[in-house]
Amino acid sequence: MSEKKRIYLQPWPVRIWHWINASGIIILIVSGAQIRFPESLSIFHSYKSAIEVHNIAGITVSISFSFWFFYYKMVKNTLDKLYIPDEEDLKHGLVRQLLYYCFWYFLGKPSPYHATPDHKFNPMQKSAYLAVMFVLMPLVGLTGILLLNVTPLRVLILMWGGIKFIVALHYLLACSLLAFLCTHVYLATLGNYIKPMLIGWEEVEEHEEQEQPAEVAIPGYRPVRHYPEYEQMLLEQRHN
Amino acid sequence: MKSTDQRKVSFLVKLAFCACLWVTAQANAWGFSYGDQTGKNQACLACHGETSEVPKASFIDPQRFTQTAHAGIGCEACHAKVAANHPDGTRLPRAECRECHYEINEEYAKGLHASKTACNGCHNPHLVLGSQEVSGEDINQICSNCHNGLEMTAKHGEWLPQSELHLRMLPCITCHTDARDYYISMYIVRSKGDSRFGKKELAGYAELKRLAGGREIVSLIDTNRDNYVSLEELRIFNRTQSSLRLHGMMTPTTVSHKFEILDSRRNCSFCHTSGSGPMQTSFIAVPGSDGSFLRVPVEKGAVLDALYAAPDFYMMGSTKNGRLNQIGLAIICGGLIMPVGHGFVRFLTRKNRKGKEHQS
Repeated sequence: MSEKKRIYLQPWPVRIWHWINASGIIILIVSGAQIRFPESLSIFHSYKSAIEVHNIAGITVSISFSFWFFYYKMVKNTLDKLYIPDEEDLKHGLVRQLLYYCFWYFLGKPSPYHATPDHKFNPMQKSAYLAVMFVLMPLVGLTGILLLNVTPLRVLILMWGGIKFIVALHYLLACSLLAFLCTHVYLATLGNYIKPMLIGWEEVEEHEEQEQPAEVAIPGYRPVRHYPEYEQMLLEQRHN
Repeated sequence: MKSTDQRKVSFLVKLAFCACLWVTAQANAWGFSYGDQTGKNQACLACHGETSEVPKASFIDPQRFTQTAHAGIGCEACHAKVAANHPDGTRLPRAECRECHYEINEEYAKGLHASKTACNGCHNPHLVLGSQEVSGEDINQICSNCHNGLEMTAKHGEWLPQSELHLRMLPCITCHTDARDYYISMYIVRSKGDSRFGKKELAGYAELKRLAGGREIVSLIDTNRDNYVSLEELRIFNRTQSSLRLHGMMTPTTVSHKFEILDSRRNCSFCHTSGSGPMQTSFIAVPGSDGSFLRVPVEKGAVLDALYAAPDFYMMGSTKNGRLNQIGLAIICGGLIMPVGHGFVRFLTRKNRKGKEHQS
């Protein structure tokens, strides 16, 4: 037997930030493509419009990123817990999640990870978001700010290796963000991720352990819910 | 109509007069000397070339005057009405530029500047050099005598992104006069005070001569000394020179004197497009000992591609690096491997998850 349980997974400030960020990044990718390849692309009315749109979207995403950092670090104080993988994540969680995506998902097995408001991301998500939110986004934002102020920040640009290096870095980071975006959107369709990001709530099935028939263990597949000792260990870690 | 015809006849007569002067001067005639120290210019410069003899406003730097085209036609060509008893205290009538530069005068009259100033507002006839003998910075220096730099940056900034950068990297006449053809004029620059973070300044004759080890300056770039710079030579210069850089300025091939605000220049892709026509022809302006510049032709082609090899030069949309584009594409394709590959197997195994798709 199982019954539906609603959990408030994504608070409204996070949802607003996420969608501003998403639309901003898409606009940045489209306008950035026209800026780099003006002879092939003419999506916006003119080259100048593409630059203006790119600048406005870039500033918006930078402000939105600062807001995200401030919210999780200062208001909720859960930034480290949410985004930095712990020892267990690195030792077993990553492999377990990878095996799930590569094999067990295709066999119809449930995900070994369940999101809670304090542990929203599975180990693979944590690692990916750590790279994206702590390396890619700040670097692409900083290089963008430098390119937006070539003359006033001339010395800083030279300290970073010159304008050519900054442009190359900005472009390659943007390509990496686009690559991540493709994977991110696809993976969002694998689990129930889109609805919580729209309305905040997620419906999860609460299992009654007594009536749950024990599943046959598959080598390498270790769904969390069937290993009470693991949950016990996590609980102890939290208390410590 | 009659007056126009008379003006044309008068112009032709004066042109013929100038041509005669040129021919006689070629033969080292006494009257007009092309800067010959023994010529009649010398008679005028004996007083006007000495600050102690004439007021500051009447002083003419003999060395710089000798380099101008005007030295060739001699002082009397413009100052014909000098009395025999000069200096007699009377003020000389102003020289009429239009007598020789009639077409330029007509062109200028149609532009925005006509109501603001006359020829000498921008050109000192005793110092003037041809447009190809001066740097873009020199040209902009003339404009900045009236147009305040900060004010212009603010005014252009109302519509032009990175206005300060644009005003520094382009001669004003590129956008404010209409020209059919353009070329890229490249100048050798170096950091102020040899500091890595110093502002880039036009490298002077003396320091370049020193860096060239006393040889011709052009040998710094034109390594095979054939007075023609190939793109490979440009790339080698960019790679090997640590303190010197090349800066490119898009300059009109034929300078118009009709100053105007051209809406077409507000279209950024006029310049910011890879391989656009104006980017194909280029010269390197090498400073000469007399303060003018010698033009050395550069191989035709995408010169910005060679300039891209310069570490501190990047022009949006134009100086793209092809290899970088390929790396970017590979990264994006890498991001598509997961959705496409996983999605394909997901589709094939969809029966295994019937009714469980969103339960995880």
